[in-house]
Amino acid sequence: MIDSKIIVELENVVGKKYVSDQPEIQFLYHYDFVTAEPEGICDISIMPNSAEEVQEIVKLANKHKIPVVPWVSGINFGSIATPRKGGIVVDLRRLNRVLEVNEDDMYAVIEGGTTWADLQGYLEKNHPGLRAGITWSPPGTGIVPSCLCYGMFDLGMLGGSGAEFINGLEVVLGSGDLVKVGSCSLSNYWYGRQPLPDLAGLFIGWEGSTGIVTKAAIKLWPKMPFREDFAALGLTIDKGVPVMLKLSKAGLGICDLVIVNFGWGSSVQELNEKNIAKDAKEANMPDFVGLITTQAYTEKQHEAQCEAIKEICKEGNLRVLSAQEGAEVITPPPMQLWGCWNFSRGGGGQWVGTYCSTRDIVKFYNLAREICLKHEKIPQFYSRILFGGHYVVARTNINFNKNNPEEIKTTRALLKEIHEEVQQLGGVVMYKPPKWAVQTYKNRTLPATTELIEKIKKLLDPNNIMNPGQGIGDD
Amino acid sequence: MAKKKRVSYIRGKGVSKLRLAYENHEVERHQNIEHYKDIVYQCGKCGTCRTVYKDAYWSRICPSGEFGQFEAYFLGGKNLLSWAVTSDKLKWSEDLAKIFYHCSVCLACTQQCQIPEIHHYAGEWLMAMREEAVRLGFGPMPEQARYTEHINKEHNPYMEKHEDRTNWLPSHIKQSPDAKIAYFVGCTTSYREQNVAIATAEILNSLQIEFKILKDERCCGSPVYMTGQAEKAKKIAEENVKMFKDEGIEKIITSCAGCYRTLKETYPKKFGLDHGIEVIHMPKFLLDMVNSGELKFNKEINMKITYHDPCHIGRHMGIYEPPRKVLNKIPGIELVEMDRNRHNAWCCGSGGGVRSAFKDLSTFAADERIEEAKGTSAEAIVSCCPFCLNQFKTHIKDNEIKAFDIAELARKAI
Repeated sequence: MIDSKIIVELENVVGKKYVSDQPEIQFLYHYDFVTAEPEGICDISIMPNSAEEVQEIVKLANKHKIPVVPWVSGINFGSIATPRKGGIVVDLRRLNRVLEVNEDDMYAVIEGGTTWADLQGYLEKNHPGLRAGITWSPPGTGIVPSCLCYGMFDLGMLGGSGAEFINGLEVVLGSGDLVKVGSCSLSNYWYGRQPLPDLAGLFIGWEGSTGIVTKAAIKLWPKMPFREDFAALGLTIDKGVPVMLKLSKAGLGICDLVIVNFGWGSSVQELNEKNIAKDAKEANMPDFVGLITTQAYTEKQHEAQCEAIKEICKEGNLRVLSAQEGAEVITPPPMQLWGCWNFSRGGGGQWVGTYCSTRDIVKFYNLAREICLKHEKIPQFYSRILFGGHYVVARTNINFNKNNPEEIKTTRALLKEIHEEVQQLGGVVMYKPPKWAVQTYKNRTLPATTELIEKIKKLLDPNNIMNPGQGIGDD
Repeated sequence: MAKKKRVSYIRGKGVSKLRLAYENHEVERHQNIEHYKDIVYQCGKCGTCRTVYKDAYWSRICPSGEFGQFEAYFLGGKNLLSWAVTSDKLKWSEDLAKIFYHCSVCLACTQQCQIPEIHHYAGEWLMAMREEAVRLGFGPMPEQARYTEHINKEHNPYMEKHEDRTNWLPSHIKQSPDAKIAYFVGCTTSYREQNVAIATAEILNSLQIEFKILKDERCCGSPVYMTGQAEKAKKIAEENVKMFKDEGIEKIITSCAGCYRTLKETYPKKFGLDHGIEVIHMPKFLLDMVNSGELKFNKEINMKITYHDPCHIGRHMGIYEPPRKVLNKIPGIELVEMDRNRHNAWCCGSGGGVRSAFKDLSTFAADERIEEAKGTSAEAIVSCCPFCLNQFKTHIKDNEIKAFDIAELARKAI
């Protein structure tokens, strides 16, 4: 319970309408309603409308030593927006404006609560020649949190992880001070993070535990006149992955390379666990599905690229289908492939999501597959090759019925087991990690690295009020 | 690559459906909230319900959520609050009931959700939660209770006298006392939008349709039903059906979208009153007459207009094209669309008891729609629901845009 006087103070900052301690309102902030992670506690939710209001809120929270949790849509697979120690959830939904689009330098300056739908709609209407990288998460989720947590987009082959799409940030620190990082700190342009010390790293990968981002510049890309989406089918993952890696290094205008397994289909809205064979291998179904997107400026260039992609797939014994041939099965994802998240009708889904070396994709899959089958779960695998093949994301999803406490318990155990096993591969590091996972990394870094992380956290958030109970800098 | 149509409509069911290649989970409609508790938790409050899905520039779509802002006011929030009370995670309260009433039940949110069961059936538990609120004494809202009381006494929600209901009726309108066709005028048209009633009756006369206006026509019960008072609404429905039968009515023409939805859908499907009477909405009637050659629009109306889809015939009943087809048949009319149209139309903010209980929300929704209509540079916003029409007329400032019912334009063109 938070003193009613504090609520009045907060109401004075943002207006009465935008502060609530009503149980019905708090219920929707206390848990992400997606993962198998435990529920949290939300005492107050508040919706600021400017960076100045965010500063005031953080200063008040410092004064009263109350936790502050930055929040946009509150859903991610690591449950990192769940308030673990109560306090104020700062819902950034009103900070959803696209402030500027610079067509020459190709970036958009957006507020911290801007969703994919907000930006996509704005670009379609006002700058149809440009596009943002699109995540597979739902359109109502936030762009800035996705970038800050190394989310990945359908332009990942060009731009890398979401973090690399960030050109600059405006942030309210845990102390309440406002800072700008990147070229915007010295000019009106948000073209990049060069050449001063790159302070964006103080906020990337920290899970909201060092500050609240109120503005960000995100890279945009030209919409090419020619685009083709292919699905490449193969019997097993280990046969398909080398072909995808070959494609990643072949140029060919490829902007997105995704690997999914057959079991991934169990998360598709139109299917569910009943419609999907538990193990594609046993069922003699093609377990490997590669999604390849290529784009080009001229028709001739496009035709040549498509031809080369087909050739490489054929050489690797993959059956390749174009979007037209594959019809709805491989409808390209302009935003979401599957619409909402409901994960095989049980409403629950969580992953072990990792960044790893391209060498570990197959090993990761085999380990995760074995554990899933042991627990009678459909193995679901997804991998995205990023930044021209420099690294990959690999993850395995677990669907579960969130209305069933036993299933939640099993899912938690299963996720931990997969996490422990894949760690043995060496280069596998979890992203958007829940608390139980992120803490394991403290024992693996050099002591001085851990110390540095802790010092930074203390410097930026002296009272440890920022998203406490989450992130690597907090124990 | 051309975008594939993912949404289709089940005619008469008032819900739309995703095209499913595999399993389609059929759910019974019009049940109590317990019946839906094993579906609502599928929602992950992903927020897809907040914006138009892959269309209309991903515009905002939920008046309740955009006004209330907190998650609780969007469909995702309401789904999970429904789950919370049916699984003992949260207790019923006045505040909870208020959240569910703070919604015009326009169902724009359901059109966006891609979870098949929620996409199809969320409207069912939005209504079931209202009914539960009434059962527990938390609903309806005080203003809604007041108009319900008046409906019981004077058979209209407008605090008007029943005896004044046909005051609009001019002496030149010719009725046939033995007609089997009734023009069901409805409360809003009778008391607030009488030009619509006159235009409709004149069109019927000009087509030499033998019809009558029921001497004792009463509220159809829509404002009572939509605020969760199903038992009271059912009683009204039973009395109305008895009257229709006593009067020998075989066909009802109505110019009100709300009455149409209630008579055609709610009476038989919710209340089990299988009255067997054909119910037809005015635009569809006009279109049939035009198509059969019985109705010809001879006069030009040189006007650029935009059409507003009323929720009660649009998303609730799946009717989008007949009004547009009629308007396009009128010489001189240039019909331009708002970005949010058909199943993605932004609600005018008058339905679901919102206009009486939450005036600020209602005004917010109306103002947004009027601004959108003005953005098309149309001279007029045209609809086929007197409640929408009255809402627009109330909120249009300085004659910045005109508002008409389709019957008014059709009458002028004859």
